[in-house]
Amino acid sequence: MMTRLSTMNLLPNAQYELWVTATNTTGISPASEKALYMTVPSPPVIKQRECTSCPEAALIRWDSGNTNPVDSYTVELSETGTNGTESTVPTCQCLIQLQAGRRYLISVRAVNIGGPSDRSEVITVSTTGTFFHLLEDTAHPCLSISEDGFTIFYGDEELPISAMALDDNTFFTRCVAVLGDLIPVRGRHYWEVEVDDGTEFRIGVAYEDMERNTYLGANSSSWCMRHILSPTRHKYEFLHNGWSPDLRITVNPLRIGVALDYDRGTLSFFNVNLEQHLHTFHCNFQNHIQPCFSLDNPGALTVHNGIEAPEYAFM
Amino acid sequence: CYFINPTFSLSAMALTQVSSNKCAGGFQKVFEHESTELKCKMKFAVYLPPKAETDKCPVMYWLSGLTCTEQNFITKAGSQLAAAEHGIIIVAPDTSPRGCNIEGEDENWDFGTGAGFYVNATQDPWKTNYRMYAYVTEELPKLINANFPTDPDRMSVSGHSMGGHGALICALKNPGKYKAVSAFAPICNPMQCPWGQKAFAGYLGSDRSTWEAYDATVLAASYSGPQLNILIDQGQDDQFLSASQLLPDNLIAVCSEKKIPVVFRLQPGYDHSYFFMYSFMNDHIKHHAKYLNA
Repeated sequence: MMTRLSTMNLLPNAQYELWVTATNTTGISPASEKALYMTVPSPPVIKQRECTSCPEAALIRWDSGNTNPVDSYTVELSETGTNGTESTVPTCQCLIQLQAGRRYLISVRAVNIGGPSDRSEVITVSTTGTFFHLLEDTAHPCLSISEDGFTIFYGDEELPISAMALDDNTFFTRCVAVLGDLIPVRGRHYWEVEVDDGTEFRIGVAYEDMERNTYLGANSSSWCMRHILSPTRHKYEFLHNGWSPDLRITVNPLRIGVALDYDRGTLSFFNVNLEQHLHTFHCNFQNHIQPCFSLDNPGALTVHNGIEAPEYAFM
Repeated sequence: CYFINPTFSLSAMALTQVSSNKCAGGFQKVFEHESTELKCKMKFAVYLPPKAETDKCPVMYWLSGLTCTEQNFITKAGSQLAAAEHGIIIVAPDTSPRGCNIEGEDENWDFGTGAGFYVNATQDPWKTNYRMYAYVTEELPKLINANFPTDPDRMSVSGHSMGGHGALICALKNPGKYKAVSAFAPICNPMQCPWGQKAFAGYLGSDRSTWEAYDATVLAASYSGPQLNILIDQGQDDQFLSASQLLPDNLIAVCSEKKIPVVFRLQPGYDHSYFFMYSFMNDHIKHHAKYLNA
C-alpha cells in the first residue's frame, strides 16, 4: 500500500530530514532512511533606491530575502513585450549591459539546491539618460531629503551634537552636502539641478573617498559650480582644489545641466533654459566619481535625472 | 569651385584671388575686389573648410582690431583647425579702406587707416570712404554669398578689440541676422573711452547722440530681438583693460539688468595679443558652431 503525506508550512531555504515509520498493532517500526529535502528560497527583494542606470547599463541591488545563505541568484531581463534572458550571479548585485533608449523589466530569483524561488517584484529600468538616487547615508545631519528622494532641504536647524562626534567619513559634517549614487560605468552622464534665485549651492562631482569634513570644491577630490549671493550681485565660481576661474554670468541659471564625460575627461555646466554653456572642467577622472550637491544657506534644490542629454551637452 | 549668382552685376561681384594656401585640410585664401561702399580696392581673407568642397557651409565673420589687415588673423589666431573640424567658412575683412589718399589718414594708429571702427562716417573727409559698417553688414555678405558655397541664413560674427566692438554692435543692431556672437577683449563702451571718443568725434562729429548707435553698452540697454548668447574672453593682464579703454564692466552691468545672456571670462596672465586669442579661439569657434550647425 502506497501512501503519501504532504506537509505544509515548511520554512523557505531550509533543509529538512524526512523519514517514515510504519505502525501496526504491535508498535512502530524503526525509522526509514532519512531523505534530505531542501525548500526553495524566499524571493529576493530588489532595493529600488539602490538601483542606478545609464544609457548602456543598469546596476541592480537586492536583499537576499533569506536569513540563511542561498547558492546563487538568477537575474531575469526582458524588454517589454519580448522574451528575456537569464544570468546567474553569486552576489546580491548585478551590473547589466543594456542598450540606450529602451525599457527593460528586471526581476531576480534566489536559487539553492532545492531550486529557484518565486520571482521578486519586477523593477522597470529605462535607459534614457542616467538615473541615480541620493545616498542618504552621506547626507549632512542638517540636510533632509524629500519623500521622493530628489529634493534636498537645508532648514535652519541646530546641528545635533551627537552627530558631530562620529568621525567615520560616511556623512558630511561641515558642508551641508549629499552624494548621489552614480552607476560605476564610464562614458557619458547627464543630469539637471533646479534651484531658486536665492539658493546658495554647490553642485558637481566628487570621488567617493572625499573627506567628509571639507567643502565641495575645496579639495582635489571634488569639482563644483558654486553660487554665492552677495549684497550687490550674484557670484558664480567653478571650484576645484579651492581655485576658480574669474567669470561673470549675466543671467542667473535656475536649471543647471551637468554633463560628465569620462573618456574626454570633461565636466561641463549649462544654463538649460538658455542652452548656454557656462564652464567646462578638464580632468582625468582616475576613479569613479559621484554627483554631489550642497546648500550653503537655508534653501532647497531638486535633482532631475533620467533625462536624455541635449545635443549641445557633449559637443 | 565658386558659386556665381548671375543676377548680380559681374563687375561689382568680381573677385581676384591674391593667394591660396592649403591649411587644415581646406584652403586659406585672400581675395581683392572693388568695394562700392568704400570706393577703393579691398582685400579680405576667406578660409574654406574641407566640407565646402561638397556642401554649403555657414559663415563666421571675423573683425580685427586696430592696425590689423586681413593677414593678422589668418596667420596668428589659429582658427583654421577648428573651422575645418566644424565645417565653418571664416571671412576676415581688412579694418579700414586703403589707399584713398585722405589727408590725415595715416597720422594716427588709432584713427584713420587701420582704424575704421566699423561705423558709417558722416563727417568730411571720411564720409565718402569710411563706411565699414555698411561694408561688413551688407556689401561683404552679398559678395561672399555670391562667390562661395555658403548657407546665407547661417552667419555669425566675432572679433578682437575694435573688432570685438564691431562684432557686438553688428549683432545688437541686427537682431536675428547673426546666429552667434563672441568677442575677445572688446571695446565695450566706446563713448566712454579715449579710443572711442577720438574715433567717433572724427567720424561722426561732436553730437554725441549720434555715437549711441555704435556703442554696444548703449545698444544692449535697448536691445529687443531673438535671444543672444554672448561669449567674451578678456585677458586679465591686458594693458588696455587697465587703461580703461575696454570697460567690460559697463556692458556686463547692462546685460545683467536687461537679462542678455553673457559669459564673460577673465583670463589670468593673458594680454591683448594674438597669443591670447590663439589660446581661446577653439572655444569661440565651438561656441559659434553650436548655433551655426544647429
